[in-house]
Amino acid sequence: MRAVDIAGTALGNTMRSKTRTFLTVIAIVIGAFTLTLTSGLGAGINKYVDTMVSGFGEIDQISIMPGADATAQMPGSSGPVAYDPAEAQATGEFGMAMLTDEDIEAIARVEHLSNVEPVVFVAAEYLETADGDRFTLQSMDLPANAAALELAAGAKPARDAMEITIPETWLEIYGTEDPEAVLGETVTVGIKDLTQQVQTVDAQIVGVSQAAISGVGASPMPSSALNEELHGLQTSGLEVEQPQAYVQAVADVEDMAANEQSVKAALSEEGFMAMTVEDQLGVITGIIDTVTWVLNGFALIALLAASFGIVNTLLMSVQERTREIGLMKALGMSGGKVFGLFSMEAVMLGIMGSVIGVGLGVVVGLAGNAALVSGPLSGVAGLSLFAVDPMALVLIVLLILAIAFLAGTMPAARAAKKDPIEALRYE
Amino acid sequence: MSAAVLETENLVKVYGRGESRFDALKGLTFEIQQGESVAIVGKSGSGKSTLMHLLALLDEPTAGVVAMNGRPVSQLKSAQVSELRNETFGFVFQQFFLNANQTVLENVILPLKIAGVGPAERRRRGMEVLEQLDMADKARNRATDLSGGQKQRACIARALVNNPSVLFADEPTGNLDTATGEVVEDILFGLHRDRGITLVIVTHDDDLAARCQRRLLMQDGMIVADDSGEAVRSAGAGVGQSSREGSRRAGGHGKHAAPVVVDGPGLDGPGPDRSGPDGPDAGPTAPGAATADTVGQDENAGEERA
Ligand SMILES: Nc1ncnc2c1ncn2[C@@H]1O[C@H](COP(=O)(O)OP(=O)(O)OP(=O)(O)O)[C@@H](O)[C@H]1O
Ligand SMILES: [Mg+2]
Repeated sequence: MRAVDIAGTALGNTMRSKTRTFLTVIAIVIGAFTLTLTSGLGAGINKYVDTMVSGFGEIDQISIMPGADATAQMPGSSGPVAYDPAEAQATGEFGMAMLTDEDIEAIARVEHLSNVEPVVFVAAEYLETADGDRFTLQSMDLPANAAALELAAGAKPARDAMEITIPETWLEIYGTEDPEAVLGETVTVGIKDLTQQVQTVDAQIVGVSQAAISGVGASPMPSSALNEELHGLQTSGLEVEQPQAYVQAVADVEDMAANEQSVKAALSEEGFMAMTVEDQLGVITGIIDTVTWVLNGFALIALLAASFGIVNTLLMSVQERTREIGLMKALGMSGGKVFGLFSMEAVMLGIMGSVIGVGLGVVVGLAGNAALVSGPLSGVAGLSLFAVDPMALVLIVLLILAIAFLAGTMPAARAAKKDPIEALRYE
Repeated sequence: MSAAVLETENLVKVYGRGESRFDALKGLTFEIQQGESVAIVGKSGSGKSTLMHLLALLDEPTAGVVAMNGRPVSQLKSAQVSELRNETFGFVFQQFFLNANQTVLENVILPLKIAGVGPAERRRRGMEVLEQLDMADKARNRATDLSGGQKQRACIARALVNNPSVLFADEPTGNLDTATGEVVEDILFGLHRDRGITLVIVTHDDDLAARCQRRLLMQDGMIVADDSGEAVRSAGAGVGQSSREGSRRAGGHGKHAAPVVVDGPGLDGPGPDRSGPDGPDAGPTAPGAATADTVGQDENAGEERA
């Protein structure tokens, strides 16, 4: 029997009991659909992260945190430790190790590092426009995030100037929709000092930001100088000198490609942990990949269930067609060809299920992505939640065909083993 | 003499083992010549179908040899046996075994499809054989829409589509009324006469058996009579042996011995002669009743041995 005849006959046979084929195919479709959606989701978000990374260009910034010294931080893990003011690290609100001013100086001494700046959190009171309208400034972005800032207009705030960017959603305070229109406007930021007196600083709007999925750009971002100034005001007002503590510091690395390893090594020697933006995004990508694989796992379970559907369908088919199998064998069809015919039927079910499922997955994924990105998530610049990766789709189809074939082998072997005489006697 | 297309030597078939052991064939040795028409007759459960399946290479004997064109079949690989069946044999089964969801033509060309013949050629040869059997107008009908006689003709068309040199038919007229049965018989013997096809027919129908050149009467797994007119005297060693054995057995079963005395005058001329000498020699069972009994008797035979 020719291969094309086997394929044709197999297709014809699957079309014989349409309801049964339909139900079996549905199970495969569900698996294929889920697999397409989850892998498309992973691909989409990773693509977004990638565009974010490539959007940064050469990122020469590095974040420095206190090194993870487990024994020193674990409460109750050891007995009481003698207090040593020189050794003691500053501790933040959540018992986290913090960086001290000495740490910042130590970091600044590391080779290839410049512009070492502690990251300070500033809680401002309000932002006042030139017209005197005041708006609550609940949160401000960290200047350290400037690298990841996506701009609708203007520029990022310059490090040493009193500059600020506002998000697109804030354009309404100027009653405009044109981001270019607000560039150059002067605003006044009000902040309370330790005596609860409001102090003010003037700053210039130099850019309009778009919110990224990471949250960067969703609130006004001051320049480093402005942030320092505000922080200074926030901690002023008392005669006593306050010891400073910082969650992390950022610094510029000279020639990141060449010096990344040596800088990291030097910092870790000093007891710090350093991460480049790429490292941080790598963590995000890793989490996305993990989540994607967990979801893919569910899809695979669905496919596993579907494969038993195939086994069941084909076993029934083999049973029902015992006589037909006997006839074909009596008329000279070899066991191998009978096996081929029935495993081909399984593959046909796999083809139908995977093509429909993958097609449906792509359509729903793209439509859902379009709806979300232009709807509720339209504020997030460059967001993609679903991407079509043709290679992945081909792999999904092949995987399902392989599963279908494997599921078909047992019934097919049973058909191939049938003795023509027994089969022809079968009532 | 023409060459033996099929020969057997000491053919034994045993079903089951231990308590349920059943000797369906008990050592048969005979030959079937090229171009011969042979009827296998006998009581239900006597082993006719079993024998035909062995001859048609559908089943393997427990012991003994089936040889085709002088070559023992056990020497062949199973794929070669399949090919041999596909190319040289035609089968008409007792039940129709037509695929209900396919058209008549599709059913008929199944052997060609299995052989790997191309679609156009398949169609051409399928239509050709359907035309021969006056079934061309039914080619596109679904097999289930046919009458019994038409179904049987479709089965014969399927058996002939690959131009077989040996045609096996198990009760080809068992399901048919007398008139339609005769039409089918005429077709079979016409092919035998015109194309020299070797016919091996299992039947309960004495008229049909009488039209064959030779009749093998089976009883309890043995050939108790091999009646072929002049051929019985001049046959080779194989036939002689079974004839001897046959006559020995025949003594104890007078009722079944009847066909032994049948002479085959005018056997080469099918048709009109049938109603002649065959009438009084009616075999062990009446036609029609035999088919009705078949199932029940098979069951009984099984239970007795169990
Ligand atoms: N697979 C089997 N297992 C056990 N016994 C079997 C099997 N096939 C056939 N037999 C037995 O072998 C004997 C011969 O069977 P077979 O089918 O050859 O009879 P038959 O002469 O063709 O009868 P009928 O005229 O009713 O078709 C019967 O008694 C049957 O019960
Ligand atoms: Mg039988």
